[in-house]
Amino acid sequence: MSEQQEGKSDQWKAPSGRRTDEWSECLNLIAANEDRAAFTRLFRHFAPLIKAFALSGSNLSATVADELVQEVMLKVWQKAGAFNPEKAAASTWVYTIARNCRTDMFRRLQKFDTPLAADDVSPEQEGEEPFSQLQSRRSRERVREMMKELPADQAQILAKVYMEGKSHAEAAGELDLPLGTVKSRVRLALQKLQIQMESYSYG
Amino acid sequence: MAKFHPELDLLTEYAAGSLSLAQAACVAAHMNYCEQCRRTAGQLEDLGATLFDSLQPEAVGDVQLNAVLARLDDLPPLSYTKVEQPLAGQTPALLQRLMRGDFADLVWKKITKTLSISYLSTGDPGYEFALYHIKAGGKIPEHTHRGSEMTLVLEGGFSDANGSYHQGDFLFREPSDVHAPTALQSEDCICLAVLDAPLKFTSWKHRWMNPFLSLRAG
Repeated sequence: MSEQQEGKSDQWKAPSGRRTDEWSECLNLIAANEDRAAFTRLFRHFAPLIKAFALSGSNLSATVADELVQEVMLKVWQKAGAFNPEKAAASTWVYTIARNCRTDMFRRLQKFDTPLAADDVSPEQEGEEPFSQLQSRRSRERVREMMKELPADQAQILAKVYMEGKSHAEAAGELDLPLGTVKSRVRLALQKLQIQMESYSYG
Repeated sequence: MAKFHPELDLLTEYAAGSLSLAQAACVAAHMNYCEQCRRTAGQLEDLGATLFDSLQPEAVGDVQLNAVLARLDDLPPLSYTKVEQPLAGQTPALLQRLMRGDFADLVWKKITKTLSISYLSTGDPGYEFALYHIKAGGKIPEHTHRGSEMTLVLEGGFSDANGSYHQGDFLFREPSDVHAPTALQSEDCICLAVLDAPLKFTSWKHRWMNPFLSLRAG
């Protein structure tokens, strides 16, 4: 994909002159005016991704996947007022809602009886410090670029863990690999993508 | 501030939503005390969003869009509670909900003179989710693990041969690590422990209890 296409939403300019992106602006319009045109734009972009996410690596039927799409998009509408473009990227925000709805759906299908919703355990993140759109966009562009360079075996594991929602142990089972190999591939991938923790000791 | 943290692979599973409910709740409770891990989890979620953005889209028709638009009217008015920034030193809200009150309101089961356990229910059938109360200076008999054990210090602190741990510190023990934690002398210690198999006491004095230590998952 050319940089031009890819960067389309990034070059969009908010009326205030502050650089923001199209999806954040849509969320703000929904929050401010219950703007259905903005919602429709969001839907056309995100619904097909949510459906793909629902179907990756799962045996959900198309009907259940469509249900998940509806559920996520309704949540997006309802929660738009809680979205803060200063503190989070719109695509990350939508992704975490989709992730949580999918987790809850899996648990419902397994008749998992719990007092906790996925939202309680992994709420949409609010950054601590005002989040710099520019900085975060750069880091996401960098990650996207570097993702292309990842060896296939590392990219495959990341897709299993994130898009298919498999634990490292499940991924190891499905790929018939030792757990240690899966973990080290994840670690190597994150290293290449320059995602790391500050100097740490592990418990 | 917490000094011991979950490793990156646990945070990755957490951010990807692939960690079991009980373990995810323990990691979430640690993040309540730890800004660094919240930041790292945020980066890992950005990575998830990047993977999500590059999925091969699946066609969704206008029928779907219209169905959703029609349902917007039925939704309750927009309301949301702002996510409260965690307060330093406070028991994580998630745990308060599971406890339905304070530590004092729980039913504690006495295991030894200095150790009591209170089991909380997360609904996760694979893991026991329990609070351990160790009296100041008290010792948990030396034990090993048949499975993995996550521990999070909620109040006070304890030490073992590897170090000493305070509020917010997170430990992950693999099967067969042997240790004998001792609470700090100055105050009682309350920890959250998430296990996928029962403990196994190793000393002759406490081994008789092993058959009684069945996993209380769910």
